[in-house]
Amino acid sequence: MEEVGKMVELISLILFFFGLYMIVSLSLNLEFGYGGIPNFGKALSVLTGAIIVGGILNRLLIWYFGVSGDFISASSIACYKLTEIIIQNPLVGLGIFLITVAMAMIAGAIVGALSILPSAKLREDYLGVTLLAISEVVFFITYYDVRIIGGYYGISAPDILAFIPGEYKIYAYTVLAIVTGLIIYLFLERLLNSPYGRVLRGHRENEDLIKAFGRDIMKLRIKTVALGSALASIAGVIYVFYSSNVTGNAFTRVEWTFYPFLILLLGGKGNNKGVVLGALLFVLIRILIEFYKFDIKELLHLPFEAVWIQYIFFGILALLVLCYRPEGLLKEKPIYTPPIKSKLQN
Amino acid sequence: MIKVEKLNAGYGKLQILFDVDVEVSSGKITTIVGPNGSGKSTFLKSLFGLTDIYSGNITYDNKDITYIPPHEKTKMGISYLPQTNNVFTNLSVIENLKIAGYILKKNELEERMNFALKVFPELKDILNKKAGALSGGQRQMLAMATALVRKTKLLILDEPTAQLSPKLAEVIFDKIVELRDDYNITPLLVEQNAKRALEISDVGYMFVSGKVAYGGSAKSLLEHEKFQSYFLGIVDDESQIGDNYDGSY
Amino acid sequence: MMGVIEGTIVWSNIIVLLALGLTMTYITTAVPNFAQASFAVVGSYIALTLLRFIGLDPYLSIPLTFIIGGLIGISTYYIALKPLIKRKASIEMLMIATLAWDLILFGIIGAYSEILGSLTKRTETLFVFTNLDFEVYGLPGRLIVSTMLVLLTIIGLYLLLYKTKFGIALRASMENPSLAEAMGINVENTRLFSWFISGSLACMAGSILPYLQEIVPQTGYFLIVSIFAASIVGGLYHIAGALIGGYIIGVSESLFTYLLSMFFGPGVLVYGKVISLIIMIIAILIIPRGVTGSILWRRLEKWLNL
Repeated sequence: MEEVGKMVELISLILFFFGLYMIVSLSLNLEFGYGGIPNFGKALSVLTGAIIVGGILNRLLIWYFGVSGDFISASSIACYKLTEIIIQNPLVGLGIFLITVAMAMIAGAIVGALSILPSAKLREDYLGVTLLAISEVVFFITYYDVRIIGGYYGISAPDILAFIPGEYKIYAYTVLAIVTGLIIYLFLERLLNSPYGRVLRGHRENEDLIKAFGRDIMKLRIKTVALGSALASIAGVIYVFYSSNVTGNAFTRVEWTFYPFLILLLGGKGNNKGVVLGALLFVLIRILIEFYKFDIKELLHLPFEAVWIQYIFFGILALLVLCYRPEGLLKEKPIYTPPIKSKLQN
Repeated sequence: MIKVEKLNAGYGKLQILFDVDVEVSSGKITTIVGPNGSGKSTFLKSLFGLTDIYSGNITYDNKDITYIPPHEKTKMGISYLPQTNNVFTNLSVIENLKIAGYILKKNELEERMNFALKVFPELKDILNKKAGALSGGQRQMLAMATALVRKTKLLILDEPTAQLSPKLAEVIFDKIVELRDDYNITPLLVEQNAKRALEISDVGYMFVSGKVAYGGSAKSLLEHEKFQSYFLGIVDDESQIGDNYDGSY
Repeated sequence: MMGVIEGTIVWSNIIVLLALGLTMTYITTAVPNFAQASFAVVGSYIALTLLRFIGLDPYLSIPLTFIIGGLIGISTYYIALKPLIKRKASIEMLMIATLAWDLILFGIIGAYSEILGSLTKRTETLFVFTNLDFEVYGLPGRLIVSTMLVLLTIIGLYLLLYKTKFGIALRASMENPSLAEAMGINVENTRLFSWFISGSLACMAGSILPYLQEIVPQTGYFLIVSIFAASIVGGLYHIAGALIGGYIIGVSESLFTYLLSMFFGPGVLVYGKVISLIIMIIAILIIPRGVTGSILWRRLEKWLNL
């Protein structure tokens, strides 16, 4: 019986992270897969979501409940007080969630637009380097300056699903993550079939062509990264609520920039279905390693933690995919506009 | 020296040259003229192996060199000087000459460099100047000097006088004649400055739309009515020029 | 105050050594190498290993770190990049490849630090050499050694690039690879050389770094922004750019942090990275090709006939 319970928990964990990575990778696919913008600062947008919860929502709660004391302990008290209310009134929890998501999306869009602003006109390599540098610096500051979101100490986050009994909570968060992922998938599929989506792909293939059509490359890039960041910040919010605290080292470049790129490579960039598939595959491997890490360590007699093996493994996997299957599992499909479609049918 | 038969070439799917026949004889200056986009430069690049060749033959001293890579051709005594980027601008004049003889042994390199500087004494005073800081004429001379370091027999020049003043162009033309007369080098050039180039040449070809429109002695091409009318702009329908070339002269 | 100046110079020297490699590989291979900082951490761990097992002074391990570093540089090119370049992969794909390579190195460093710890029965996931440093007339060894290394590197590179045939060929290949190929130069050799130097300079810098600050497997993440800022501010298309950019970034980072900590206490140390980022952003907005790509620099070069 315990085995079955463990299994269900494992599946739920996989599905939860599948939802999260689906959100982030789909947003990266919009920017990189379709728009050709190498956003090596992807982690920044996920971190933005976390900052909105840890840095803004918590401060609002502290102010609302009039809690005194230092930020970290005051946060715990304020979060506890809110949790008490949510147990009585589930709607408050859902309301707080929606408000936080809205705030995170606005902040994500602003942060995304600002981060690409200096390099929006430059070539891909400068673009990628600048985005990475900005993301890294913000990460360091939030990690080492404990006054912002608790940094390396970590900070509590309110339990927005406090009305659900403990053992079922993980399932509820899983549903929340997957549903959000699906909504974003459907939204992006529609968006990318619009004229905007076609201009975006055109921009990736040939910048000059788009210029010739009178489109402003800079505006297109800013718009795209703003949207991508807004979407990815939702993942940050859900992740923080799920773990019921904010820890600075959860938002590293490896976790939220490199892995989403790996997912794009695995699934096939420029193809949302492929990216969803890639996310599932990646999370499956990742969580299994994570789940069985002690067994792996034991089995292989590793004199070190299995997490290092995981890094080496995913690094090698990325190189292999780049080399032998750069188009991924599912190739990008050509665009069929309605006139072309009708022509093909005849 | 070099014989091109029924050459079809271009870049990828874009064919630019159609059934081109050209012959370059040793000890003679051969000049190719023609309007912009007629395939002159592409022809030179094809000789050196920088384009995609679909069919046809290129023979050099009776050897088939159609598909031989550029650096092998360098070793066989063929030098190609593109119109731009033909010297290393960050390197000094002397470094450019040294690099040109990269594959030579030390004493041989010394000897060839002295020879190149004998042909182009103008370079002697500016040996330590960066090539990027040279005037257009000096740069062209340096480019030709690097070819001499490499023991060139066939010197392929793509518009050597482009962007030079008429006076400087004259100096370059004189050098080309000197190379033929005194140093046994066979120049093959493409020129916009068509009239002047043909005046110093032995053999002339006229390209139109990727085909050879005329081939013969330089003098005959100069006097040919099609050439005259074309370069005077009287005839602007190109098909009229290209219709009566029979592939021989 | 003396300590601040000394720390500033050492830090700048280290950044210069790291940025030099980054710029060189960018010129020859056209890839911004995100694994550059991890090269340095590998160097730190090589020095630590030699210290623990044969008691070798970390300064004396520099020749060996130089060679191993060079091999790591070359393997980066051979394993992670060359197969992709052959397949004509885009620059974004090459950048992802260096990120992947960085992650592999990070994983190896982390695993190794724990293996080393289990052998030496100490915590090797965090270490410093500061207590081992020597002093000459009150000047700390790290100041003398790091400055010497930068000087030797500059003189060595200058002699090599300007006074040898191979060096001239290198500069020729960096400027115009296809023309260099037509001259019979093997351009591939120049790439291998730049990757070797890149790895070896970085590893050397890494064996000095523990004299200045604590090393953890994650140290690379702290370095990468400063290195890129230095190369970009100085100009990614000119080797001298790394030198100029390295000192601009190193000095402003250290002094700015010092000033901040005078007013706000030591909690603001991390904000030193912000100044690097700001200088880098200003640079790409005003002079995208860096100091050595600016018109002013070109005039200076012409004037000096460099």
